[in-house]
Amino acid sequence: MKTARTQVNLMNVPIRPLFSSLRRNPTGAVLVALQVAITLAVMINAAWIVAQRLEKLERPTGIDTRDTFEIGIVGSSRKFNVAQAESEDLAYLRGLPGVAAATVVNGILLTENGGDTDLSRDPGTNGPVVGANFLTVDDQALNTLDVPLIAGRNFRADEIRPLTKGKQTPPSEVIVTQSLARTLFPHGSALGRIIYNGDSNPLTVIGITRDFMGPQVGAPAYNTVLLPTMPGQAGLYALLVRTRPGMRDTVMREAKQHIGTAHRFGITGFSTPLAKAERQMHAGDRNTAILLTTVTALMLAVCCLGVFGLTTFNVGSRRRQIGTRRALGASKRDIVAHFMMEGALILSGGAFLGSILALVVGNWLTVHYALPRLDLVYLLGGVLALWIVGLLAAWQPARRAADVPPSVATRTV
Amino acid sequence: MLRMQDISKIYRTDLIETHALRELSLEVKAGEFVSVSGPSGSGKSTFLNIAGLLETFDTGLYELDGREVSGLSDDARSRIRNEKIGFIFQGFNLIPDLDLFDNIDVPLRYRRMKADERRKRIESALELVGLASRTKHLPSQLSGGQQQRVAIARAIAGDPALILADEPTGNLDSLMARQIMDLLEKINAMGTTIVLVTHDPELARRAQRNIHIVDGVVIDSPPYQSRFTQFPPRTTAGAAAE
Ligand SMILES: Nc1ncnc2c1ncn2[C@@H]1O[C@H](COP(=O)(O)OP(=O)(O)OP(=O)(O)O)[C@@H](O)[C@H]1O
Ligand SMILES: [Mg+2]
Repeated sequence: MKTARTQVNLMNVPIRPLFSSLRRNPTGAVLVALQVAITLAVMINAAWIVAQRLEKLERPTGIDTRDTFEIGIVGSSRKFNVAQAESEDLAYLRGLPGVAAATVVNGILLTENGGDTDLSRDPGTNGPVVGANFLTVDDQALNTLDVPLIAGRNFRADEIRPLTKGKQTPPSEVIVTQSLARTLFPHGSALGRIIYNGDSNPLTVIGITRDFMGPQVGAPAYNTVLLPTMPGQAGLYALLVRTRPGMRDTVMREAKQHIGTAHRFGITGFSTPLAKAERQMHAGDRNTAILLTTVTALMLAVCCLGVFGLTTFNVGSRRRQIGTRRALGASKRDIVAHFMMEGALILSGGAFLGSILALVVGNWLTVHYALPRLDLVYLLGGVLALWIVGLLAAWQPARRAADVPPSVATRTV
Repeated sequence: MLRMQDISKIYRTDLIETHALRELSLEVKAGEFVSVSGPSGSGKSTFLNIAGLLETFDTGLYELDGREVSGLSDDARSRIRNEKIGFIFQGFNLIPDLDLFDNIDVPLRYRRMKADERRKRIESALELVGLASRTKHLPSQLSGGQQQRVAIARAIAGDPALILADEPTGNLDSLMARQIMDLLEKINAMGTTIVLVTHDPELARRAQRNIHIVDGVVIDSPPYQSRFTQFPPRTTAGAAAE
């Protein structure tokens, strides 16, 4: 069978009669439009989430993860003397020949085990706040992380607030990452400026470090504030250790064994080389991206099947009408255009509904999962992609409709 | 208007070749009202479909309105159907989910006619068939006779030179059939050539001329008054006979 020239002018298809016949026979069209809407809403938001995850995969940790590990220590009883354990552990670790540097810290980097907080340029709780990972550390933290200062200075040993039985003296100096400094003080340097943590005492920024990733529970990865405070008030702390190149595993094994038996009422908890933490962090993002992409692709395929099925059904059940239209002067292209236009109308209805749904879902994700607000480019891109893919799905049955011979008008009664 | 010479048409299926038309020749002059009759399976519909460019033929010459049509592309044939020919079908063939207005609009849209021109034509066509007040009705809300009148309105709205009707009254009772016939005579009187296939001798007699087709050829003397025997179509078991 000869094929019609493929140039199909949709503009020649009358929309109003198409609309009214859709209105009189809406079931299939409405179902497919709903399917399109749901697919679109999922697709757009999934693409947005995947984009965030892929971006995260690209980002460096800013830490020498290869030679660094952490060991968490948990008190098993109220009698656990944290301050004493900390100083014993640090003395032990710093005495090991394989260790380059060691510090105490209140969380495990890159693993979402840690704390975050809100910082502000104004005291009180009303002003705009910036989320940040917060690390309570001693003066060896930057050295251990191998993160350089960009401006200012490190904590001095005498500034580190020791753990005390009662209320710990709050710090008045902080070091912040470059990202955090820029977010808090977009204009001018943050060095020497004062920031607040709720109703806390004023905190003076004494140093700014190159960016590195914190534990990132809820805060942006590179927003981190370091406080000169010995951690462990709740009975748990972590030891962060950087070894000499290649000695990480040996030192970690040895240290775990020693510390595991060193304290009364204290046991080693979660411990990990940071390289592994980094891998797992990325694995999570990668798996999420793969899962979402797969689910979206499946939904899109099913949606195409819906459009294909509906068009195929319509073509099959309207053979006589197609033959009649041909007899009345429709060219093959007119017939293709007719079914493509019908598909386009259904897709547009679905896309309209789906866009609204996508915005609602996007907003919900922003509110509940701290996802950045949906970029409208993704909305437009999603609509366009679904439209094109949907029309491609309608194309084959529409082409078959054009092959219905005009004689069908008289031959089938 | 319409001149066929030695037109043959063979339907081939896997096992059977059906010679629907065998070197059929006939001529219909512009302005004529011709009826076509003949036994079932004799090739009347085949002839009409070929005349209306709904089907192609195997051999022979066909001149429509002075133009040889055998070599034309599908698009060109569509355009001729749209502009020169009006079809009236036995089953009316209205589009069920379009109202009367939109139904009549269908061929005019394919002609890319301007909206106000289409409206004018649709209204006057409906006027002519006596259904001017029913533009917003759906076909299912009309009787068979009314539906056929809508189909006639659709056929004439494009102002065709030739109207082809295949058993237009086959699904109607005799009263409605006569009304349809009246309408066709009125349209013919306005200058449109009409070829009408019908089994009904009474209707056939009302045409100016009757063409009788038997077994795929035109029989000269129209014997529609007599009770003719039914000729079965001659089929040869082509491939199977080998
Ligand atoms: N598409 C087709 N494929 C195969 N054979 C066909 C086809 N259309 C028609 N025929 C055969 O061609 C012959 C002529 O058919 P046609 O429809 O022209 O007869 P007819 O005179 O219109 O009959 P009736 O009065 O019953 O409508 C018949 O034998 C029919 O079976
Ligand atoms: Mg017939």
